[in-house]
Amino acid sequence: MPRFPCLALLAALLVAAPALAASVEVQVSDGAGKPLPGAAVFLESKDARAAAKPGPAVDLVQANRQFQPAVTLVTVGTAVNFPNRDTVRHHVYSFSPTKKFEIKLYVGTPAAPVVFDNPGIAVLGCNIHDTMAAWVLVLETPHHGLSGADGHLALANVPAGTYRLRAWHPSLPAGVPALDLPLQVAAAGQAPVVVKIAGAAP
Amino acid sequence: MTLRAWVAPLRRWRPPPLRLSGRIVLVSLALLLLVQTAVFTAIGQNIDRNAHAQLAKHIELAARVWQRLLDQRAARLNQGAALLAADYGMREAVGSGDLETVRSALDNHGARIGASLSALLGTDLAVKAVGEGNDATLAAALARLAPQLVQKPGSGVVALVAQRPYQFVMVPMRAPALIGWVVMGFPLDRALLDDLQEVTGVQAALVAQPMQGAPVLLVHSFRPQADASVLGRQLADGDLAIDGQPHLVATTPVASGSEGRITLRLAGSIDAAVAPFRHLQWLLAMITLGGVVLFGAGSVWTARRVTKPLRRLVQASERLGRGDDDEPVAQEQRGDEIGDLARAFEQMRGNVAAQRREIRALAFTDRLTGLPNRLQFRDDLLRAMAGADPARQHIAVLMLDLDRFKHVNDVLGYASGDRLLERVAERLLQVVRAGDVVARLGGDEFALLMHDADEALAAVVAQRILAALEQPLQLDDHKVDLSAGLGIAMWPQHATEADALLSHAEVAMYAAKRRTGGALVYDPAVDTASAANLSLLSELRQAVDGGELRLYLQPKIAIRDGSVCGAEALVRWQHPTRGLVSPMQFIPFAEQTGFIRQLTLWMFEQAAAEQVALAMLGVRRVSVNLSTRDLLDLELPEKLDVILRRHRALAEGFCLEITESAIMDDPQRAETTLNRLAERGYKLSIDDFGTGYSSLAYLKRLPVHELKIDKSFVMAMESDAGDAKIVRSTIDLAHNLGLSVVAEGVENEAVLALLHALDCDEGQGYHMSKPMPAAEFCDWVACWQVRAPARPGLAAELAIGAPLLH
Repeated sequence: MPRFPCLALLAALLVAAPALAASVEVQVSDGAGKPLPGAAVFLESKDARAAAKPGPAVDLVQANRQFQPAVTLVTVGTAVNFPNRDTVRHHVYSFSPTKKFEIKLYVGTPAAPVVFDNPGIAVLGCNIHDTMAAWVLVLETPHHGLSGADGHLALANVPAGTYRLRAWHPSLPAGVPALDLPLQVAAAGQAPVVVKIAGAAP
Repeated sequence: MTLRAWVAPLRRWRPPPLRLSGRIVLVSLALLLLVQTAVFTAIGQNIDRNAHAQLAKHIELAARVWQRLLDQRAARLNQGAALLAADYGMREAVGSGDLETVRSALDNHGARIGASLSALLGTDLAVKAVGEGNDATLAAALARLAPQLVQKPGSGVVALVAQRPYQFVMVPMRAPALIGWVVMGFPLDRALLDDLQEVTGVQAALVAQPMQGAPVLLVHSFRPQADASVLGRQLADGDLAIDGQPHLVATTPVASGSEGRITLRLAGSIDAAVAPFRHLQWLLAMITLGGVVLFGAGSVWTARRVTKPLRRLVQASERLGRGDDDEPVAQEQRGDEIGDLARAFEQMRGNVAAQRREIRALAFTDRLTGLPNRLQFRDDLLRAMAGADPARQHIAVLMLDLDRFKHVNDVLGYASGDRLLERVAERLLQVVRAGDVVARLGGDEFALLMHDADEALAAVVAQRILAALEQPLQLDDHKVDLSAGLGIAMWPQHATEADALLSHAEVAMYAAKRRTGGALVYDPAVDTASAANLSLLSELRQAVDGGELRLYLQPKIAIRDGSVCGAEALVRWQHPTRGLVSPMQFIPFAEQTGFIRQLTLWMFEQAAAEQVALAMLGVRRVSVNLSTRDLLDLELPEKLDVILRRHRALAEGFCLEITESAIMDDPQRAETTLNRLAERGYKLSIDDFGTGYSSLAYLKRLPVHELKIDKSFVMAMESDAGDAKIVRSTIDLAHNLGLSVVAEGVENEAVLALLHALDCDEGQGYHMSKPMPAAEFCDWVACWQVRAPARPGLAAELAIGAPLLH
């Protein structure tokens, strides 16, 4: 998992500067040019890392033997609850270096949430149901979002400045890093950014 | 021994002729065998083709089974590998990078599912860990294989590791995203091939064919000691001898890569494929054999059925051939050709038997009289002798021969002669005792067999017979007086043998005939004479054939002038041991036996041969004597014709002399013969004139030219006035009848002169010459002409004789 300590520091410095914010529109498509829904897009910079604060606790529900949602974006230090809404037990685990944990055979919501305190991508599975998979992207930036059904997303209140636009989709092979593009955000707003993730599929 | 010498007997060898039954059986069997051989050949070829086709199918099936086995194994291995890949602890170890744990887990799980090789690959297919027991070669091989395994992770890939074939499978390890690959390798060993062999019956072998170097036979299902190496050497499919057994081989690819390829060679045993057919074939052979035996037996039975009656017929015909025609031919009650043949045979047998009976009847009876013949009589005699006791019983054989029967035959004709014989037979049957056998032995000869009769009884019966025959017999208008000579011979006094007894009876009979009739009992003394006569007859025959007879000539002179005018031909016998035999010693005998006819012809022939020579001497005629028998021979003129032609002689050159008694024996026939002779130009002369009783009237009718006065009168005329008168009156009588006269027995000049005075024409006698050999006759004639003074007329006589020369 990439780590951006220098960039985060820089973003924090930038954010501290007079705040001239703009909205960034992003259109994501797959290698064939089709709109790609469910893709994670986030902007990294030193100021952005500085501005990133742990958010409120998030629920990653297991229902119908599926994780919902499949992709969860959180800032570093955010706690995630794993409520089990199925009648069968689940055994949620992650061997990802970003966050290794396991919650053995439980029903309902475990007492303690899991705090994701390192940036990176954690792949979560269920030891009982091999088909269940979920991804938790632990980010060091507050500017992030998932593309909609039309592959479009909008990131609001992005201060003008220089960013690295990162794009990722769960269909990418394991270990493949997120797409990395430079992006200059102007205060006056700008044209939508078109991102094409080769190797991903809807 | 040369080759030719060896081969020669073989060439000469011919198979023994087959009996009909053998031929039928042989042909039937040969046809059956031919058909069976054709069937066998066809089946044999089909079996080969079918077996190959079936074997090919088997092998194809084996190839599919092999693929199925590989797939099943792959599936099983997949499950095992997947289990490991899904193991939480394993995933945790992999996730946490604990390679030590990973290696031991690989070993542990590999052992659990029987995998020899196991490894963990990263998501980038780089080898991350291998099982503890595996070496570096595996890592190298995996690096090569991984891309292929990713292509078809489920079905597995076969590859060589350290020259051993392995089946590899690779399953992903997810947590839940892909975090690596678990690879497991299982040896393709003999057990798998054995499985295949067990299921399909097809032997299998794996062969590695590297890009470089020779192919290597990796493993095979043949028994361990078998030499299957040929599968690694001969890579072509088709028939191949493996470990000495024929196999059909096909090849299926198992794996191929940059290093080379691995093939599965499937070998089906042709013997095994053919075996069930062979069993069928064996069964068929057994059935064929049974069929041949049955067929052969059937053929033999049928052939016997056909040939057995044929053999019976052959036996029947052989019996017929031996003359045994009493046993009927087995009447086959069958409607077929054999039955027809048997019936035809039976009919033939009946005919043959009837003919044989007829022949027997003909052979043993006399057809004319119905009496037994000589053969039957002899058989009866033999039977009688066999059935009689020589000590107490006697058997008499009477044999009789009619007198003058020939005369009757000649005068009255053969039909009358036959009737006469019938009547005689009747009379004989009337006078003999019942049970005695009367037989006609032939001609006018009859015999009587009297059982248990002594000599006295035989004599009584003989007299009765003679008395019966004395009764005159009326034949048409003629009354015939019969008489017979009868001989009696007694058994066992005279002879114990049948033939001897018959011969003795015959001897006695001839003796009786010579004694002019009556009955005579056999007398051994008589027999000796008859034996001598018999021997004389055979000697006479020998004399004619052997040239022992000589022609003698006695000259006749013309009394008027003394010239030689003729000669009488006489015969002399120059016997090789007895010297010159007098005619008196054999002429009467020859007359008696009839042999005189040969003598006459012989003489005539000799005279004919001399005719020309004699004519040159002035001898105009040669006189030849004819006997009674000659005269009675109606063919005599023709016989003489033949001789004349043979010697180109003329009848005019002959004078034939006949005695009075000869003429009177059968005057009618004699007249016929004489007329025919006279027609031919022969001069005829009555010999010994005056001794017989010829009637002048009769004499006048005869075509006679000459009378010959018997020498008894001539020799005595000198001294006896009576005789002289007879001579004179005879000469006058003859001259008056227009006949010339010859005087025999001129023994001196005085008689000659007397005859001259009586005007006798010719003279003959010792005064002129005795009979002399023909060769001396010429000299004599020459001498005579010198001695005798030429008399008037001699020249004229010679002139008259001249025409004969032509």
